[in-house]
Amino acid sequence: MGRAALRGLTTVLCALAAWQIIVVVFQAPAYLLPSPLVVAQKFSLLAGTGDLGRHVLSTLAEVLAGSLAGAVAGLLCGWLFTRLPVLGRLLSPLILLLQTAPKIAIAPILLLWLGLGLAPKVVLVAIVAFFPVMAGAAAGLAGVDKSYRDLARLLRLSAWTRFRRIDLPFAAPPAFAGLRIASTQAMTAAVVGELMGATYGLGYLLNLGQENNDAGVVIAAILMLCVMGWLLHEGVRLAERRFLGWHESQMAQAQA
Amino acid sequence: MIHARGVAKHFLTRGARVEALRPVDLDVARGAFVSIIGPSGCGKSTLLRIIAGLETASEGTLTIESAADQRAGFVFQDAVLLPWLSAEENVRFPLDAAGVPRDEGDATARRLLALVGLQGFEKALPRALSGGMRQRVSIARALSYDPPLLLMDEPFGALDLLTRDRLNDELLTIWTATKKTIIFVTHSVEEAAYLSDRVVVMSPRPGSIKKIYDSPLARPRGERTKLDPAFHQLMADLRRDLA
Ligand SMILES: Nc1ncnc2c1ncn2[C@@H]1O[C@H](COP(=O)(O)OP(=O)(O)OP(=O)(O)O)[C@@H](O)[C@H]1O
Ligand SMILES: [Mg+2]
Repeated sequence: MGRAALRGLTTVLCALAAWQIIVVVFQAPAYLLPSPLVVAQKFSLLAGTGDLGRHVLSTLAEVLAGSLAGAVAGLLCGWLFTRLPVLGRLLSPLILLLQTAPKIAIAPILLLWLGLGLAPKVVLVAIVAFFPVMAGAAAGLAGVDKSYRDLARLLRLSAWTRFRRIDLPFAAPPAFAGLRIASTQAMTAAVVGELMGATYGLGYLLNLGQENNDAGVVIAAILMLCVMGWLLHEGVRLAERRFLGWHESQMAQAQA
Repeated sequence: MIHARGVAKHFLTRGARVEALRPVDLDVARGAFVSIIGPSGCGKSTLLRIIAGLETASEGTLTIESAADQRAGFVFQDAVLLPWLSAEENVRFPLDAAGVPRDEGDATARRLLALVGLQGFEKALPRALSGGMRQRVSIARALSYDPPLLLMDEPFGALDLLTRDRLNDELLTIWTATKKTIIFVTHSVEEAAYLSDRVVVMSPRPGSIKKIYDSPLARPRGERTKLDPAFHQLMADLRRDLA
């Protein structure tokens, strides 16, 4: 285990200890602020029945499927708008309008259309992930030297080969950065969707805890969301490093 | 192998007509090393890009005697390498894109990197290479699909003089070894005089061909060329024409 991880663990343990001390010193009522031990008990209870696993899995599925769909669509649109600027000019007012609206506001209509299952959350997450990825991809492609276009024509590359071998690698780093920024919002979108109406998911668990005046359940769900958000962020970062190693080190060199 | 008759080019930018190249007649023999020199903006790049098929001529006819499926080799002023590919993968790129088997592409890439003096750097990414080394990779890439015609647009313009001299000698070695036809655009009178069989001088913008010199200098070229009075006479003539 690395030094940073050790430091992180220490901080988390200290926070837990502080929490326990606050509960004991101020004698906080358990229905408002249960102690870490009580939460841990709730946790193992929920986990034992398999309920917690199911809630985590469905939120995770929404976030992953939505992010993937949004990222792919964003990448393709960013590419399309760069290749066909007319299309970009025609659609950009619409896109701007959609982008400035708080995306969460779309949730109720999605729930009306698509029901209480995973689908409306996946769509909401996809919409949230779409914009930063599209903007990143478009910006990345716009910055590519015109000579690369000449190179592609000179080598008589097919549109598909050019996309795969030249455009996509150039668009990927800023698109990934967009996705990393979007990953927190993607979690929020999934949870908000679940809060508004769901039968599964951590957002649903939050609602359940609130309705039953069970602060322990609420806190357990929040903690799971923290862990998931962190894992998601780390996952995107690792993927970035794995696939875009050339780019990261290039940036580091440019800054040095 | 190239016959240009009255080849001219204008661009339309926001309704305005920009004359980039006035009618040009030019013949380039197979295996020749021809330089094009002229003041900035006279249309050297435009002419080269028309020959490469990157632009279409607005007027005139251009005949290139080579198989229709032959791609021309082109070396840009900047290396235009793909930054995520190693030197070897960059050289192999045109072959990969054309579906050439991997081991065949590998062998070609390694042979060409050795030809341009980069053995040992096969796995290096472009950012780990100097400007001169990158340009060598770019030349190796242009040679990878064995084009009969190699077009070079100020390929060494961004390099320091020492590197430039060395790459000029290497280019002549490659030219002798591969028997390519080379058209070489440059700003440097010395480079044009040192390398070429023929030097094409263009007039200022909008340019056309002002004069064509057939080089009196013997081959192979080397240090002795630079001491040859005929070399200095040619440079003086070129300078006077450009002034
Ligand atoms: N795509 C284009 N659109 C409009 N005008 C262009 C275009 N390309 C070139 N021109 C114009 O054509 C003229 C010739 O350009 P060209 O690039 O061929 O010059 P050059 O001789 O290569 O100059 P340099 O030595 O600076 O590279 C210039 O006036 C330039 O502004
Ligand atoms: Mg030029």
